[in-house]
Amino acid sequence: MENYLIAMATFGCLYALLALGLNLVWGMTGMINLGLVGFFAFGAYVSALATKRAGGPMVLGVAGALVLTAGAGAVMALVTARLRGDYLAIITLGFSEVVRITASNEIWLTNGTDGISGIPGPWRGRVTPEVFNLIFLVLAAAVVAVALAVLQRVRHSPYGRVLRAIRDDDQVAAVAGKHVLRFKVEAFALSAGILGVAGALWGHYTSFIAPDVFVPLITIYVVLALTAGGTGNNWGAVVGAFLVVFFMEVTRFATGWLPSLKPVQIAAVRELSIGASLLVVLRFRPTGLLPERIPRMEVP
Amino acid sequence: MTAQTHISRRMVLTGAAAVAAAGLVPPRTWAQPAPIKLGTLTPLTGAGGSYGPSMRRAMEYVAGEINAAGGVLGRQIQLVSEDDQTSPEAAVRAARKLIDVDRVVAIMGTWASAVTTAVAPLCWESKTFLTTVSGSDTITQLPHQGYLIRTQPNTHLQIGKLADFLISMKARRVFVLSAQTPFALPSQRRLTELLPKGGGEVVGAVIYDKDKATFRSEIDQALRAKPDMIYLNGYTPDCTVLLKELYKAGYTGGKVSQGYAVNQKLLDSMPAEVSDGTYAASPSPAVESAGYKRLAKFLGASDLDPYSCQCHDHISLVALAIARAKGEATGTAVRDTVRKISQGPGVKVDSAVEGLKLLAQGKEINFEGASGPCDFTDIGDILDCQIKFEQAKGGKLVFVKMI
Amino acid sequence: MSPGEIAQLVVNGLVAGTVLAVPAIGFTAIYAVLRFPNFTVASHATIGAFAGYVVNTMLGWSAGAAVVVAFLVAGAAGVVNDHVVLRPLRPAGALTTAIGAVALTIVLENVIRFIFGNDLRGYDLPIRRDWRWGPLRIGPQQVENLVIAVVAMTAVFVFLASTRTGKAMRAVADDPTLANLKGIDPERVARLTNFGAMGLAGVGGMLLGLDTSIDPLTGFRVILSVFAAAVVGGLGSIPGAVVGALTIGVAEELSLVSLAPAYRSAVGFVAILLVLTLRPRGLLGERAY
Repeated sequence: MENYLIAMATFGCLYALLALGLNLVWGMTGMINLGLVGFFAFGAYVSALATKRAGGPMVLGVAGALVLTAGAGAVMALVTARLRGDYLAIITLGFSEVVRITASNEIWLTNGTDGISGIPGPWRGRVTPEVFNLIFLVLAAAVVAVALAVLQRVRHSPYGRVLRAIRDDDQVAAVAGKHVLRFKVEAFALSAGILGVAGALWGHYTSFIAPDVFVPLITIYVVLALTAGGTGNNWGAVVGAFLVVFFMEVTRFATGWLPSLKPVQIAAVRELSIGASLLVVLRFRPTGLLPERIPRMEVP
Repeated sequence: MTAQTHISRRMVLTGAAAVAAAGLVPPRTWAQPAPIKLGTLTPLTGAGGSYGPSMRRAMEYVAGEINAAGGVLGRQIQLVSEDDQTSPEAAVRAARKLIDVDRVVAIMGTWASAVTTAVAPLCWESKTFLTTVSGSDTITQLPHQGYLIRTQPNTHLQIGKLADFLISMKARRVFVLSAQTPFALPSQRRLTELLPKGGGEVVGAVIYDKDKATFRSEIDQALRAKPDMIYLNGYTPDCTVLLKELYKAGYTGGKVSQGYAVNQKLLDSMPAEVSDGTYAASPSPAVESAGYKRLAKFLGASDLDPYSCQCHDHISLVALAIARAKGEATGTAVRDTVRKISQGPGVKVDSAVEGLKLLAQGKEINFEGASGPCDFTDIGDILDCQIKFEQAKGGKLVFVKMI
Repeated sequence: MSPGEIAQLVVNGLVAGTVLAVPAIGFTAIYAVLRFPNFTVASHATIGAFAGYVVNTMLGWSAGAAVVVAFLVAGAAGVVNDHVVLRPLRPAGALTTAIGAVALTIVLENVIRFIFGNDLRGYDLPIRRDWRWGPLRIGPQQVENLVIAVVAMTAVFVFLASTRTGKAMRAVADDPTLANLKGIDPERVARLTNFGAMGLAGVGGMLLGLDTSIDPLTGFRVILSVFAAAVVGGLGSIPGAVVGALTIGVAEELSLVSLAPAYRSAVGFVAILLVLTLRPRGLLGERAY
């Protein structure tokens, strides 16, 4: 059972990374990214291929995921930066589907719908599964801590103020002389990089990735995590992520109390409850549990 | 000034989570010796959904028989069942739960090759024994260190017999339409290699994503190659659509598929003239064996699918291996002893109950299952298998030949 | 590829495009009147498809009658869903409503999954061989779908052009404040728009499934193409949706000349990108975004 709790905590950390990434572009810069699962997938495949196919070390795989996914994010931002919010929503959603289709189809590269199995993990096979899980949890938590520190730094810095200004009204920011496009691209790239690292870690942890893992539902989980935790607030992102993982696993056990349902019905109820929860949060507490506290500047 | 104890919402939430999680740990029963937990992971839903429930029932049957006769060395077998949904992703999550939460000795019954490929690393890394009915060559070639056996003939064997059949049917121009699976490319290649020996050839091949609702373009591609035989290398849902579209397109040539795809459920879902003439290949279970007959009686069917028979054998083999290992109920013990009870010079038995009795008397046994002799190579493949070829006529499958 | 094969692709594309136009009109109409992209068009297409399936397989109704049922059920569902779920979110802005729509579409899709499971289902219709003219083949069902789609679109145009309610809808789409001043009740118009638009989505979903099969993901599979059709034609413009749909339909088929069939949806995505970068108003759109 402890192994199971450790695994859930690890998934919590990975979702926390995703939520932090989303917070950077949406909470802090006002750009919605409904295609975040596409960047997640991209990072996962980069690292899986680098380590499994090319035999490189895990560190290289994760670093590669960070850099390449950030690059993809930058490209995406360049192309879409001028779009209005809801258009951006459509395009980013489409992007994640295109990533999934490409992963499903380019069998020579990604092994298609069968996925990539046996992805190496840190010391996997050389230690017992229990020790491996523990090592990975520490690793994932460390990465979350680093990401959190970096993003908090950004938030409290002049850079973060510019991003918030762009979020609140990018025309004003432009008039104030800020090169809005550059800021947007950088924020999107950094965010995408974080999402890519999360994807890489996911692959190394679960040892298996396939296009079917990277469905739009994951994006909804993360949006729920951020919205429930508190959009704009990095701690909110982390808290929200753990809440969502907890909620998902509770529903897995809870449906055991409804034995008359068939497995597909149980799965439907669980997915449905995620969507419904997001709607409830959007309706009744859109600022989330830990609302954003605008950092006040010290008045001398 | 005393410091305020600020119980933040965050603390309350994490506390509640910890309490709830602790409450999920089941209470221990001290009355009997601990049961032996075995996991079943079958496709209760999804493309393999026609077989999963019956595969599970076959395993429940054997577990029931063993438990009624006193269990394995006094310990009852407890089955924990999960649905792999014929999806690698769902299977990995379910396997994680079986391994980490339920701590099963073995996972039995994975059906789709993609599912088995995904679950296998979890099993061998956690030293959980995996028994599967998947056929792809690539599976036994994984570095499973012996933690995997399968009772289904592999692709190499299956396609070899298919090629023999097609040659005997005088097929000259064969087009291969495969769903994306681990065995798509190996099947294609093997068929391309074997057909010319009988004067035929593979005139084209397409690998498609099976989660679509229409395959119009793939059909167009196939028909452009003017085949006289199309091999539908997919699963029931996509083969259903393919057969309908072939009919609409006016294709009158031959069609051949695997029995797990073109089965009675598929035939029932379409008018007879759409499916008529389609050949179906299935590994033939050991219909003469006592084990098969007992299982057929229990499941209430005269004609059993090969997978339920194989699952009957899976759980029998695992139980006998544990007994042979003097009750050591671990995946490693099963790996080390399974071939000692599945093949070799011991007394031939066809039921786990009988085998357990003989083992208790110190005798060696050789289990012969309902699916076949159950003799395994070093990497976990079965040595040989008979393949039965049938043809759809008037909405029913009619026997053609056995190869 | 030979000219005959290309002609076949164009024919397939025109048929697919005409069917695509039906939900595209619905999507663009909601955008015009309610000013947000309503992703639930996907799940309402599925709802319509399954409603038609139920009356077709369980009550034995013909395809034509089932299509009417698909329209009514999806339309009613659309009104209820909007009123209960999306309307309270509208004050928070278009983006929040759009996200709410994504969440709602997942809820609805899973309700369908709960009732019907994941398996593909086919309508209970005779399977007929395609008609052939030279190198071209076209299915009788495809022709029927074409006819139904054209009838639906004509009805929409007539409604908007001639009836009082239709003109009210156009007024609200054009300028809601002015329309309000003229005494047009925006809530009533919103309700009607939802009913009509989601009804059309439901018809589209059923037409898609008539020729092939349906499952809970039916609507979701085409949503990208529906967006593409609406954006290419110009968001908010109904004739634009038709032109956009035909364009996307043919483009998706022609992409088969060089791309694998799996990349069809990618065509829609690329089209959206191109249009939004080069000509954001779309082909027929009047609004600058």
